[in-house]
Amino acid sequence: MNLLKRCLTDLRLLALGCTVLLASCSGGAPTTSNVDIQSSAQAAVYTGPSPESADVQAFEANLWVNISPASRCGGCHKANGQSPMFARSDDINQAYSAALTVVDLSQPDNSVMVQKVASGHNCWLSSPQACADIITTWISNWASGNTGTAGGTQIALSAPPDITVGSSKVYPSDPTLFGSTVYPLVRLYCAKCHSDTAGSPQSPFFASANEQQAYLAAQPLISLNQPTSSVLYNRLAQDSHNCWGSPVDCQASAAAMLSAIQALANGIQVTPVDPTLIVSEALSLTQGTIASGANRYDVHDIAKWEFKEGTGSTAYDTSGVDPGMDMTLSGDAAWVGGWGISFTTNGRAQASTATSTKLYNRLTASGQYSLEMWINPANVTQTKANIIGYSGGDSVRNFSMSQNAFQYSMSARTSSSDLNGAPALVTNANNQLAQAALQHVVMTYDPTNGRKLYVNGTFTGDVDKSTGGTLSNWDNSYAFLVGNETSGDKPWQGTLRFAAVHDKALSQQQIQENFAAGVGASYYMLFNVSQLINVPQSYIMFTASQYDSYSYLLARPTFINLNPSWKPDSPIQIAGIRIGENGVELPVDQAWIPLNVTVDSSDYSPTNGQLLSPLGAVFPVQNGPGSDQLFVTFAQIGTLAHTYTTTNPPAPTPTDLPAVSDIGVRIFDEVNASMAKATTVSAGNSSVATTYTQVQTGLPTVFDIQSIGSGALIAGAQLAMQYCQALVNDPTLGPTFFPGMDFTAAPGTAFVTHGAEDLIVQPIYNNLVGQNLTTQPANSAVSTELYSLIDTLTASPSSAAPAARTQQISMAACTAVLTSATTFIK
Amino acid sequence: MLDTSKTSPGRVAMAACLTLAAALQPIAPAFAGPNDQAKRLFDRLTGTPPSATVLQQMSADISSSNATAAAQIAMQDPAFFNVTVRNFAAPMTNVAQSVFVPLNDYTATIIGMVRDNVPFNTVLSADLVYTGNMSGVPAYSPSNNNHYQYLDTNNADLSKVLQPQMQSSLTGIPSAATAGVMTTTAGASAFFSLGTNRRMLRFTMMNFMCNDLNTIMDITRPPDRIRQDPSRSPGGDSRTFLNTCIGCHSGMDALAGAFAYYDFDTNSNQLVYTPGQVQAKYGINTANFPYGHVTTDDSWINYWRQGSNAVLGWSSSQPGSGNGAKTFGQEIENSSQFASCQVQKVFQAMCLRAPSNAADRSKVSQITADFVSSGYNMKTAFAESAVYCMGQ
Repeated sequence: MNLLKRCLTDLRLLALGCTVLLASCSGGAPTTSNVDIQSSAQAAVYTGPSPESADVQAFEANLWVNISPASRCGGCHKANGQSPMFARSDDINQAYSAALTVVDLSQPDNSVMVQKVASGHNCWLSSPQACADIITTWISNWASGNTGTAGGTQIALSAPPDITVGSSKVYPSDPTLFGSTVYPLVRLYCAKCHSDTAGSPQSPFFASANEQQAYLAAQPLISLNQPTSSVLYNRLAQDSHNCWGSPVDCQASAAAMLSAIQALANGIQVTPVDPTLIVSEALSLTQGTIASGANRYDVHDIAKWEFKEGTGSTAYDTSGVDPGMDMTLSGDAAWVGGWGISFTTNGRAQASTATSTKLYNRLTASGQYSLEMWINPANVTQTKANIIGYSGGDSVRNFSMSQNAFQYSMSARTSSSDLNGAPALVTNANNQLAQAALQHVVMTYDPTNGRKLYVNGTFTGDVDKSTGGTLSNWDNSYAFLVGNETSGDKPWQGTLRFAAVHDKALSQQQIQENFAAGVGASYYMLFNVSQLINVPQSYIMFTASQYDSYSYLLARPTFINLNPSWKPDSPIQIAGIRIGENGVELPVDQAWIPLNVTVDSSDYSPTNGQLLSPLGAVFPVQNGPGSDQLFVTFAQIGTLAHTYTTTNPPAPTPTDLPAVSDIGVRIFDEVNASMAKATTVSAGNSSVATTYTQVQTGLPTVFDIQSIGSGALIAGAQLAMQYCQALVNDPTLGPTFFPGMDFTAAPGTAFVTHGAEDLIVQPIYNNLVGQNLTTQPANSAVSTELYSLIDTLTASPSSAAPAARTQQISMAACTAVLTSATTFIK
Repeated sequence: MLDTSKTSPGRVAMAACLTLAAALQPIAPAFAGPNDQAKRLFDRLTGTPPSATVLQQMSADISSSNATAAAQIAMQDPAFFNVTVRNFAAPMTNVAQSVFVPLNDYTATIIGMVRDNVPFNTVLSADLVYTGNMSGVPAYSPSNNNHYQYLDTNNADLSKVLQPQMQSSLTGIPSAATAGVMTTTAGASAFFSLGTNRRMLRFTMMNFMCNDLNTIMDITRPPDRIRQDPSRSPGGDSRTFLNTCIGCHSGMDALAGAFAYYDFDTNSNQLVYTPGQVQAKYGINTANFPYGHVTTDDSWINYWRQGSNAVLGWSSSQPGSGNGAKTFGQEIENSSQFASCQVQKVFQAMCLRAPSNAADRSKVSQITADFVSSGYNMKTAFAESAVYCMGQ
């Protein structure tokens, strides 16, 4: 695409958008309007000679047109103005020549122009970092030229400073010292904002009423090893940020803060490194060579948020495409380490409706778009949680994407959908694509394919049946936001580390390119091992980044020598790599302990070194990425070796358990087998088997005698009845079990005396209770109970025939004992 | 049918039995005689009461200070296998650890091994499965449980009908890939289906090492074998990984590599073994942490040999690493914890309590030693535990 034409089109679309916005102010959905804090700058009018080359034309279209306004660089770096005059409007070719002195096209973020602005030089936004990122984008676009391809960057590794691993200070886990030094000061002067219970809470909450929470939040803002580098101090000393005193005295405020920080630091002992270890030189994360951001496909970015700010309440749109859709953080939206914002319970970041019209103007013109995010859902249980949207409320939207447990759901308004973007395209539940892990998620829309979703660079396979629609029914009065719905009732919990809107449906290759580029600040950390192997310029290099607020990621350790003509003359053995931090080897996640590799000429490349391991691991943030001194130790490197020994902890001392009953109950199948054995009725008897199947889960399942309840006894009684019925009714088993018993006699005859009743009672006792057992009830006790039972039943009226009644009474006596504790207890 | 009128014997008997449950409460004297000891010994070993004849024989043995002989008599009763050993095995065969499961090849194999005095320290590695020899029984099939369901439905006496077979000859899995009960159809169905095969590792530790992951986790172990699917920043908080997740995954993933060639196909309902080809389930959610371990073979390594889990008593005769489920099973079943675990489970079944005090723990140690020296004969564990708890 011709980028110059694109810029001119942008301006026309912007004007159109403003017109439409004004026309729509009288009605529409209940969106929240934010103040538009970034206005589009008007490019200087160019009247000079034509560009002499395609590269000059690319410079003009991508950088000059954006920096030439008087409100940006054109006010000073103009013709006859301050040198270098890269924003002059009289001769684009001379401006080009001047620009070349302050830009680095191979590594745009390393440009003098970028670094100058990043240091605070006349940024037109309140965030120098945002200005620097925007200029980086413009330079990158220039570097990409008119090819429409992503800019490839050759990373130039540079030797880091040599820092000997030594004494460092590490925060103690106990906040007491903080509580008596820094905390009283921040609690007194900062709690009106930097407390979670403040009227307008402002993260980080280092002045929280919860001392532990405040302690954790303050740690990244304090440099124990160099107190004057502390953010808490510099915000007062350099930025005059909410100083105190009457009259307000920033110098005194800063001095008080510095004194408190020094008191904290002085109270913490230094941690020396173990002298027996084989250690590399040390390095902090930010002393590494920046490696990220160069290989993204950004050609069609029209809005982009990298969340680098880390403080304040504004997330800047660093796409460089005006107007900037800067988002305001509200609710519990908070910055996270390694670039990003998090939403814990109910927060959002929202652009104004005015700047959001950029999306309306751009996307309705292109008729297609892509939403790109790096997200880390907090969980996979939240439902209807809105991650990103351009909407006017709960029921009207231009687009949105939400998480529904393990699924992603996309709504997109087109002429083929309703005004809510329904029907939504939902990912297959069985694929469980949404994970509580860092994911690259992209939704594309174009009329031909409809919506397509890519997770971590891979098309999900979910096909949109609503295709062919245009964006003609979009509404330009809506607001773009992340983390919630504009109505505020669909909060998403998680971390958003990057977001972008493209005015094209990205191809799978382009999406994969952006997935591969990663997210966040990435570095190459080079740990000097020259002295360990007596080879100058030798390093163990890691790809590193701040992984989240709590850890660093170190990956792919590589041996490399910065002398491009060096090759290993003799093999160098490297084994047992461990990572140390602030003078101490870390105890957890040491992924390279088993590593054992030999660096030799066959595997070593002067360009890429030799990869030692493809693995990565995370290590805790202690004092912050600028303060934490990381280093590498070795079990062996070259001829040096250190023997590690593992002391296994002793076995835990067993503790006595509370005394429990010496007896227990039979469980379900034991009950069944016991009844079968005692009554001589087979468990396979159909009536018995049927009843057992019905009641077995109601019978006891554990031996614990205290677990048995009335339900188990009822179930047991039902089963016992079946066994006793089968016994008494069986023409063979009954007479055998009850010898001499006449089941055809009437009850009055059969049970006329206790002696007659003994024909039933005694077999029951002998077979169901057992003889000569002191642990079972005595015969007399059982007999007395059974006599009473039989006598009661004999005297009771019944509609049954006399013989049947006798059998019933016999069954009752049998059941009473078979269901009793004499059977159940073992 | 029973009379259901208000004064029916059924209802009266129900009421009476509830009354009798209290009235006929057995007495548990501190000092029982040989008869009572024999009764409890039989009760505990078989789950059922003895006949008068058996009681007399056992009582005589006990009187002559040979309680072990009495226990041997009890263990000849079919209920020992049909009830007690079955209940010992059944919960191990399913994720819910339910005892209410049909007879299956996993349960039958354990019953058969106990009956035939097969060294129990081959339960996770042997090329062995027990089938039933009963009239009308369907042939064994690796894709359904009809064979065992028939035995169950027809109240087959498992003390008699079970016969040992070579698992590989019935399932088609190579003998070298068989791993005792782990590669039975029931075992595979429960612990290899879907998921990531970590379930097999966890339940093996639970069933045969008496430890769930929450007691085994050790965050100090090398994490280099943790696969790519566990997030290193769950929900955006890497502290969760460093404080919790790594404790299980570092050791678990390193061991679960042994199962890389196994899967349970839920369509064919059959164990699948793909030598040389890692199952796709080992490569799910790889983007969660691209710098994690990529499984390329079925190798495993036991990082729990050091650290807090060294107390599990890993055998020095085993290499501590290897390939495949069989060698992994040997690593487990030759640890001292394996032997101790089996005895602890038996002790609990016989004594109706976990080892509770110094005397109990000392006894378990002695029984464990006897169990091992007897060639891992499970009857030794049952008999000695039951005798210990038969009362005085």
